[in-house]
Amino acid sequence: MSSHRVDAKVVMLGKESVGKTSLVERFVHHRFLVGPYQNTIGAAFVAKPVQVGDKVVTLGIWDTAGSERYEAMSRIYYRGAKAAIVCYDLTDSSSFLRVRFWVKELQNCEEHCKIYLCGTKNDLVEADRSVRQVDYHDVQDFADEIKAQLFETSSKTGANVDKLFQKVAVDFNSTAFQVLTEEKGVDLGQKKDAYFYSCCHH
Amino acid sequence: MEADVHNTNAPVENGSLAPVDRLRHERSDSPTPGLVEGTEPGAGQDSAMFVHAQSFEDLTADDGEQEQELSEEGTDGTLETQEQESGESRDGGGESGEAQDTQAEEEQEDEEAQSSGGRDKEEDVTSEAWRRHRKHVFVLSEAGKPIYSRYGTEEALSSTMGVMMALVSFVEAEKNVIRSIHAEDYKVVFLRKSPLVLVGVSRTRQSERELTRELLYIYYQIISLLTLTQLNHIFQHKQNYDLRRLLAGSEHLTDNLLRLLDRDPGLLLSAVTCLPLPSSSRDVISSSLQAAKAKSLVFSILLAGNRLVTLVRKKDQFLHHMDLHLLFNLVGSSSSFREGEGWTPICLPKFNTAGFFHAHISYLEPASDLCLILVSTDREDFFNLSDCKRRFLERLRRRSAYQALQEALRTPSYSVSQVGIAELRHFVYKSKSSGLYTSPEIPIPYQSEEEQERLMGLYQYLHSCMHHPTRPLRSIYRCGERENLLAWVTSGFELYLCFSPLGTKEQAMAAISKLLKWIRKEEDRLFILSPQTY
Ligand SMILES: Nc1nc2c(ncn2[C@@H]2O[C@H](COP(=O)(O)OP(=O)(O)OP(=O)(O)O)[C@@H](O)[C@H]2O)c(=O)[nH]1
Ligand SMILES: [Mg+2]
Repeated sequence: MSSHRVDAKVVMLGKESVGKTSLVERFVHHRFLVGPYQNTIGAAFVAKPVQVGDKVVTLGIWDTAGSERYEAMSRIYYRGAKAAIVCYDLTDSSSFLRVRFWVKELQNCEEHCKIYLCGTKNDLVEADRSVRQVDYHDVQDFADEIKAQLFETSSKTGANVDKLFQKVAVDFNSTAFQVLTEEKGVDLGQKKDAYFYSCCHH
Repeated sequence: MEADVHNTNAPVENGSLAPVDRLRHERSDSPTPGLVEGTEPGAGQDSAMFVHAQSFEDLTADDGEQEQELSEEGTDGTLETQEQESGESRDGGGESGEAQDTQAEEEQEDEEAQSSGGRDKEEDVTSEAWRRHRKHVFVLSEAGKPIYSRYGTEEALSSTMGVMMALVSFVEAEKNVIRSIHAEDYKVVFLRKSPLVLVGVSRTRQSERELTRELLYIYYQIISLLTLTQLNHIFQHKQNYDLRRLLAGSEHLTDNLLRLLDRDPGLLLSAVTCLPLPSSSRDVISSSLQAAKAKSLVFSILLAGNRLVTLVRKKDQFLHHMDLHLLFNLVGSSSSFREGEGWTPICLPKFNTAGFFHAHISYLEPASDLCLILVSTDREDFFNLSDCKRRFLERLRRRSAYQALQEALRTPSYSVSQVGIAELRHFVYKSKSSGLYTSPEIPIPYQSEEEQERLMGLYQYLHSCMHHPTRPLRSIYRCGERENLLAWVTSGFELYLCFSPLGTKEQAMAAISKLLKWIRKEEDRLFILSPQTY
């Protein structure tokens, strides 16, 4: 899936309730919604322009649902993505197991997708160090190994959130110059033409 | 499991449901209660939007062989008027526990105002409060593994569910099927839908059939998330699979659906209600939606809260109201679609249980109640549909229909006083051929949650009398201490009325034709008379 409105496709991945939607809400709408947790259904798409130097890069963000139910569907969301923000909850070690799953999946299927690891809910850790279940240095080592970048964020306070997405946009902008973009996702206009040709060549 | 739905599968499951292009009957200005289907107020002018069940019987017919032999509703054509006593004794003839004293039951219901509301997972399942919930629903696998419980955690209830499954298997070992157990003040109803077993435990006065139908809704709710194909596949491979893994996060959808079943007359009547809107505005909205089409689009649905603004469908494809209710429930129970444009696989089980559609779901504006659902067959088509939405909005704004719509949103309902019938408090009118219903806002005496559910309970009771499997009634009038009730069913419509206890039966009977006249006058606004296709 591709859109002309968007420069770079970014996908949010991670176990349910780690805080993917909250991260996007904070970045796009500068807010943190309190109230009962509402799990994402399927996925939600938002486009957000980001200023990079004198250029504007529009990020097309796919906030996917963490529920296993949608796992079979996940390919359509990360296919052709330029960046994947793989999230885990700093206060929940099981959520990091899911990170390893997604990293493997991306390495196998989307080798050109840059990976950003994001430890969420840092405000909880700052309020009480004992709730941390995922060690910073362990993740940093893992990040080095897979050539990913690591951020620890809080959507509640906003800490590091803009920095994360800004980095995604900057990285995209610089690689866009270096490498000619890989073949784009299927354009429907193209598809129609291709179909038309194959008919004629029969 | 990703098999997509192909739109060649016309969802016509039953010959009588095929929405034939009806002959255009004369539309009478002062309709009489004997109107035939297709000419009743609210009947669509061309073809219907829905694969509509003509009657309650049709709705359940495809789900249980046992329904097949049921007598057709009202074939005798005679009108029976049942007074309270005789109406109830008829009911009581079948099974015990059905004909309870109204007053006693109402008191019971008052005691437990807490039964609805938020999900209290921590609830103690051995407590009296847990036992006293009006309606419990359990879903389990054939291996007896808990999948869903309305109250309390599934873990805490796993032994209870094990017993239920043992009971089901025990009876089945004798080549019998367990359908229900009737005890003194509650009913236990079983719905066996391999690979799932659904159990309802109810202290309401609903009939076994109605309870079964509610379980069926819950079953379809689960299918809509997984497809039956996937569900079968899972359990074929691993009999004792813990389905909660795949349903994680969907419990509130089921919770909310159960709440709708308790409160929304649409689910009871197999019908949908519309946002009152001048027909000229509705037509502009419909044609704008019709113009914003895409190859993969099957249904375009615009909702205002839980009301339908318009529905445009692919030619020859019909939506079943049950599937539409599932969509309503999906949108209504999640704020997830408010953050951006939603894109989710969804199975519409009455259309096809095997595959997923892909729904583009978004609000027209951030804080608006207007939600657009575009149902597509192609999971790669997101941006195309996103563009459909943009085009729809552009058109709408250009024609200033948007203003009219905003205006209408300010008065999404009407008061019963506008009808001008003395002692009439509330009514529900369903046009059978369009599958649409209209109902005024809930009046003051019924505004609290418990009272609203009590009123619904009364309608449910009337409904079950009118649709009794062996002795359906054409009409029923009953006096109560708190209100008088009248139900009237013809081949064209179903009407349920609630009067103050001061009214007389003569007044009530006279109200029918007066009300029909009023609905006829207002039908342009209250119904979708010219549904569109693309
Ligand atoms: N204290 C704190 N809570 C957070 C933070 N981010 C998210 N949460 C809470 O964590 C819960 C889950 O957040 P979501 O953003 O909905 O999680 P998600 O990853 O989108 O979940 P799925 O959509 O189910 O995959 C919510 O109750 C949030 O309020 C954070 O930075 N700090
Ligand atoms: Mg989310």
